[in-house]
Amino acid sequence: MDFFAHQDAARRKTGLLVVYFCLAVGLIVAAVYPVVALVFGARPPHLWNPILFLAVAGATLFVIAAGSLFKIVQLGSGGEVVAQMLGGRPVDPATRDLDERVLVNVVEEMAIASGVPAPSVFVLDEQGINAFAAGWSPSSAVIGVTRGAIETLNRDELQGVIAHEFSHILNGDMRLNIRLIGLLHGILLIALIGYTLLRSLGHTRRRRSRKDGGGVVAVLALGAALLVIGYLGVLFGRLIKSAVSRQREFLADASAVQFTRNPQGIAGALKKIGGLVAGSRVERAAAEEASHLFFGNVLGQNLFGSLSTHPPLPERIKRIDPAFDGQFPKVTHAQRTASDLGAGPRPAQAAAAAMGFNPETAVASVGTPQTEHVAYAAALVASLPQRLVEEVHEPLGAAAAMCGLVLAGDPQTRAAQLAILARSSSRVYEELQHITPLLGGLPAEARLPLVEMAMPALARLSPDQYGSLRQVVRRLVEADQKVSVFEYALERMVLDQLGQRFDRRPPARVKFRWIDAVAGDCDALLSTLAYVGHRDDAQAERAFRQGAVRLAAIQSELTLLPRSAATLKTFDEAVRRLAAAAPKIKKRVLEASAACIGADGRITVEEGELLRVVAELLDCPMPPLLPAAVTRPVTSG
Amino acid sequence: MTPILALSTAAWLLIAGAVVVVLVALWVMGAYNGLVALQNRYENAFSQIDVQLKRRWDLIPNLVEVAKGYMAHERGTLEAVIAARNQAATAGQQAAAHPGDPQAMRALAGAEGNLAGALGRLFALAESYPDLKANQNMLALQEELTSTENKIAFARQAFNDAVTSYNTQRESFPAMIVANVAGFGPAELLVAVETPAEREVPKVKFS
Repeated sequence: MDFFAHQDAARRKTGLLVVYFCLAVGLIVAAVYPVVALVFGARPPHLWNPILFLAVAGATLFVIAAGSLFKIVQLGSGGEVVAQMLGGRPVDPATRDLDERVLVNVVEEMAIASGVPAPSVFVLDEQGINAFAAGWSPSSAVIGVTRGAIETLNRDELQGVIAHEFSHILNGDMRLNIRLIGLLHGILLIALIGYTLLRSLGHTRRRRSRKDGGGVVAVLALGAALLVIGYLGVLFGRLIKSAVSRQREFLADASAVQFTRNPQGIAGALKKIGGLVAGSRVERAAAEEASHLFFGNVLGQNLFGSLSTHPPLPERIKRIDPAFDGQFPKVTHAQRTASDLGAGPRPAQAAAAAMGFNPETAVASVGTPQTEHVAYAAALVASLPQRLVEEVHEPLGAAAAMCGLVLAGDPQTRAAQLAILARSSSRVYEELQHITPLLGGLPAEARLPLVEMAMPALARLSPDQYGSLRQVVRRLVEADQKVSVFEYALERMVLDQLGQRFDRRPPARVKFRWIDAVAGDCDALLSTLAYVGHRDDAQAERAFRQGAVRLAAIQSELTLLPRSAATLKTFDEAVRRLAAAAPKIKKRVLEASAACIGADGRITVEEGELLRVVAELLDCPMPPLLPAAVTRPVTSG
Repeated sequence: MTPILALSTAAWLLIAGAVVVVLVALWVMGAYNGLVALQNRYENAFSQIDVQLKRRWDLIPNLVEVAKGYMAHERGTLEAVIAARNQAATAGQQAAAHPGDPQAMRALAGAEGNLAGALGRLFALAESYPDLKANQNMLALQEELTSTENKIAFARQAFNDAVTSYNTQRESFPAMIVANVAGFGPAELLVAVETPAEREVPKVKFS
């Protein structure tokens, strides 16, 4: 199964979940009704009263729906809310704690390798080894890791755990998980109402005389019954949760091995959980509610297999490392050295250089970064000046770097841009003075990854500061009267992806299921892509055809727009509409885009950046194009 | 049949009551969670100031060490800088433990003000020691200090924005009931400390 199939599967699973859930709600209504009827004086066999039944069913449904919606809306506003609910503390990307820095670096490498903006990282102060990923979409995801994990796991093991979490992010599990928490919360609310009834009556009974005892006993019975029914419902819900969760854990384990091609990493982490007294336990009460988000079982090993959200440890380990003998190692504090900060050289790097560009493999790697991508990301990060990396880990430095990246080459425009910046923000201007020399030597293909590394620091700006930065970047981009491909890409990433974190916008819903509905957008998209990489119109036409072939099911033939009409503006409008297309359409659009830019057998940095924007706006995390595939521009500029 | 029908008005009332109770309870939970989220936000924003403040406190002893070699006669000024730095570091620890606490915030602002004053005097004196001014270490340290102060100012702005939105929410009408009952106290802004660097650059707000 590839990324797109997983997305569809996640959607289908959600459908299945809703069916189970409706079943559970139906059972609850059926259980609540006789209790209420008895309380209101009905005696068997005359229990049936349609009006009362409608009222009971309505009220029960209302309570569950209100509770679920409330929780889903609350958690849906972003991964940060979930992380805070679980007691997470955001890790400053510029942290000076060695353990935390290793964690930040590992997450960054994995993010660049899978082509998503680096998620914000949270640490839970827990002794056990555990981790989670949460969020509504890959670009607003957060990753949380326990203190126990960053202290006891070595770099490879930590990388395995993070790769496992990235698999959840990339496979669309997070949305499903949040819905699951919400639905269970609705059922839990029934139990809570029962509990509240019991408590409130417990108080009044003490104060009142015994004269209206009958009514009190009735409501008491109702409260107790609701409590029992509610908890039975929760138990039922947990069965659903566990059933959905366990399979996905195996999948995420397998993906982690695939991403890192290092079974020892994740297997080692699982073994350490087994060897640690605290295991993978998370003490915080809210963790139980979100147990299916975690890497390991938050309750420790559960006696009742069917209630456990995670498969048993030995079974998980055996699937990765068949030679496992069931003996867990003794766990000690990991010995960290400065070399842990960067990944060591790996043989995979040499292999990467030999790979050419192939649209099918490029699209097949969406959502499943390969070892080459991870190694490439690590090498790329290592090649950046240390000072620059430190700067983009820090809000002011990151803001200044974003401005610095759009500064023009020619002195006149540059001076005008600097004047704009100095007027609107002296602090960013000052900071930019320190960074400019570092940005000068930056290779073109490192620019977008640098932007992605800066995301967590930029997410820490206050909304006002983010608003000003957004405005300044736009004015700097417009200063020279034309928007370059990179400037467009940067604006889209900073404005859109970061905007998702600030405005808490949910990602687009599927509106277009048939490719014909978006034929015009495909015209615009492919036309722009074709012209960007080809100065010659005939060659552009050929590239366009190469892409159009992949969208062959379109009834109306695709037509190449004239060069003057294929602007970044029309391109932008087209991609935004395509973001609301079904996954299988997105896959073909991406394939067509890749085929179009690869038609002449070489890919310019600009083409690569545009493809990146397409993937990013379509919410398809596409790993970076490997160096051999990208041709550096012959002319400067 | 009659017992149920007779009670069905009561049943309706009970159900309507339950609906209202559930809605109110959900609203209270929402308001409470909103306040907690805003509180978390400004506390996290303070940690950013904290990182940079610590960086600055680490730089100052190095700076004094370099200066000592050139201006041995100015021991009083140098010791004042170190004393002010230690005082600021203590106030900073207090503030980091209770971000937003009015007393801690004012103490930190005061201590940072003293430190800025002591540093200002040191730099003024350094003007008359050309060798010190030309020392590469001194230049690098001064540059790093300016950059760090710039970052502190930027982080402080983010913190103050977060505190302001928390205070606004805390005082706005329906939410204030929850805030008062649950004991959400007011948070204090960290007022601008005029550092030498800030005095140099023209004052323009980042907006």
